Amino acid sequence: MPKKKLLFLLAVCLLLAACQGTRKGEQKTSVRIGISLYRADDTFINNLQSIFEAKAKEYEQENGIKVILDIQDAKGSQNVQNSQVERFISLGCDVLCINPVDRMDASAIIDMAMTAGVPVVFFNRQPVEEDMNRWDQLYYIGVDAKETAILQGKMVVDLYKEQPEAVDLNGDGVVGYVLLEGETSHQDSLIRTEWSIRTLKNGGVPIEKITGGIANWERSQGSALMEQWLSAYPGKIELVVSNNDDMALGAIDALERTKTDKVNVIGIDGTTPGLEALENGKLLGTVSANKELYATVMLEMAVSCALGESPPEEYPLEEGTYYWTPQEILIRETRKTEETPSQGK
Amino acid sequence: MIGRRGKLLIALYVVFLVILFLMCSTDLIIREPEKEIYQIAVIIEDAKSDNYVNFRKGMDQAAMEFNADVRFITLYEKRDAQQQAELMERERQDGADALIVVPADEEQAAGIQPVIPVIFLRSGQGEGTGAGSIITDYRKMGERIAHEILQDTPADSPVLAIRDTGRQSTMDRLFLEGAEAECRAAGRCWQIGTGKESIRAFLETLETPEGAKTVILAATPDILAQAAGILADSPSIAARVQGLYGRGSTLPILNYLDRGLITGICVTDEYGIGYLSVQMAVRALEGAVSQLPEVMDSYYITKKKLREPVYEKLLYPIE
Repeated sequence: MPKKKLLFLLAVCLLLAACQGTRKGEQKTSVRIGISLYRADDTFINNLQSIFEAKAKEYEQENGIKVILDIQDAKGSQNVQNSQVERFISLGCDVLCINPVDRMDASAIIDMAMTAGVPVVFFNRQPVEEDMNRWDQLYYIGVDAKETAILQGKMVVDLYKEQPEAVDLNGDGVVGYVLLEGETSHQDSLIRTEWSIRTLKNGGVPIEKITGGIANWERSQGSALMEQWLSAYPGKIELVVSNNDDMALGAIDALERTKTDKVNVIGIDGTTPGLEALENGKLLGTVSANKELYATVMLEMAVSCALGESPPEEYPLEEGTYYWTPQEILIRETRKTEETPSQGK
Repeated sequence: MIGRRGKLLIALYVVFLVILFLMCSTDLIIREPEKEIYQIAVIIEDAKSDNYVNFRKGMDQAAMEFNADVRFITLYEKRDAQQQAELMERERQDGADALIVVPADEEQAAGIQPVIPVIFLRSGQGEGTGAGSIITDYRKMGERIAHEILQDTPADSPVLAIRDTGRQSTMDRLFLEGAEAECRAAGRCWQIGTGKESIRAFLETLETPEGAKTVILAATPDILAQAAGILADSPSIAARVQGLYGRGSTLPILNYLDRGLITGICVTDEYGIGYLSVQMAVRALEGAVSQLPEVMDSYYITKKKLREPVYEKLLYPIE
């Protein structure tokens, strides 16, 4: 009798296991991606979001897998973002794409995701390494800030070597520059500043810092600072080195308002308004990440995670976690000069 | 020493505890109130969501308040009514309890006999179908902005309306029809054109009667933002323009209005529409048989009015 019972139990277990196996083998026909943006009014993030949405539709058409996007704006609040992540998980999102508000404070998001078993693709603002090492289902897509800064410096170095008078605008042998920096809590801000200036110095451009300030990536703040500097240092500023295009555009707004010319402005990001300013000759140059590729990798990575597949092989990951999007220098007139490879920090 | 009777009582007590535990864990005693989550799909007429930022904020707020799971869907090609009908069917099959639709073609949408509740966001034309509708009267909006143009600009300034290439949406068409009727009734010169190659190229070829500047009226928010960007970059074009008017309240449009590059805009309470549409969908799911159409007001806003609290709340809603 006990032997019969044991056999019966075994049969039930096998049947249950078989059912489970069938369920796992089923191909998913839709994936749901929860996306939280640190601030949707950031021009770069806004550009990236638009491309991501377009790529999701392309993917849906090509592969017949429905892609549902839940996009939320955290409005610069980590608490709001944490609530959004909680809601994404409760709504059954298969994967999360998170642009962290505070890169030092991603642990709450990671805790929730790990508990629910939902993979996370972070982008643009890189969580600290300790957090990224906590789980093998955490990924980061971004640009290498050091490389960005070197390219930004290089565009001025190359121009100076070819036409010194195009950089040393007043011809006094010294290039007076001001610096517009992003928010202090963003990893890219410090690195962009340090390596951009270092590249200029090492490249032989005789630079002299006039002043600098933090404009938190914002056009309006960049504009206000630049207006102050123009009145405080009349005729001295020849170059504006900005950590992003929005602040560079703010500086251009101030130059236009005060009817000041003979100042070169360089930015980073290659946003749509930035590229328009480049086209119109207002911006000397910018460093642009390949946003099409950036969004494509984000989407494909997210979909792979959602389908329970390994990350796509065509986009190799550094340490199995990080993908660095290639960047290019865009400079006035010549526009495109070179493109970096997609890897290598 | 526990007797046989005592052991039996302990065993019975343990069995009772086990049963009690099982009943609790299987919700037989402590039953969590079940909250039904309504699956609602929002399908707009556009291929991108840029013009729906405030709408989505309202929609998300209502989704949280009314326990709804809202999916926002754009078309692959803008104004493709056929594709919109396919997406409506797809969403129904995928388990949507209700739909909120901005029709790509309002006449075609009027003929749809939906299986599940559908809330239509219409532009003031035709009879409503579905479980409810929210109406923004775009013809009236066009008349309103034309009225402002006629008041603000010299009588010899021609009005040039720029519309999208290809097929127009009903809202664009009604907006321009309203404006045209008002301008023509006042005897104002009215021209219409499309930015076939680019809006910039189109504006560069502006020809106006001697001494008169042109008033530009953009039919869509996209054209309005593009035109404002061009005026910002090209003083030569800006010098030939008396004023730039249009509709929409995207962030770039509001920034251009604030910078004085756009003279005036007509807007609706998009946050309110987003909120109301989800609320109506939930009401329909909870058994409301027919709901009266909600008619939304439109407002004319200039740079001066932009910071007035009532409009600030409307244009920059905080969830």
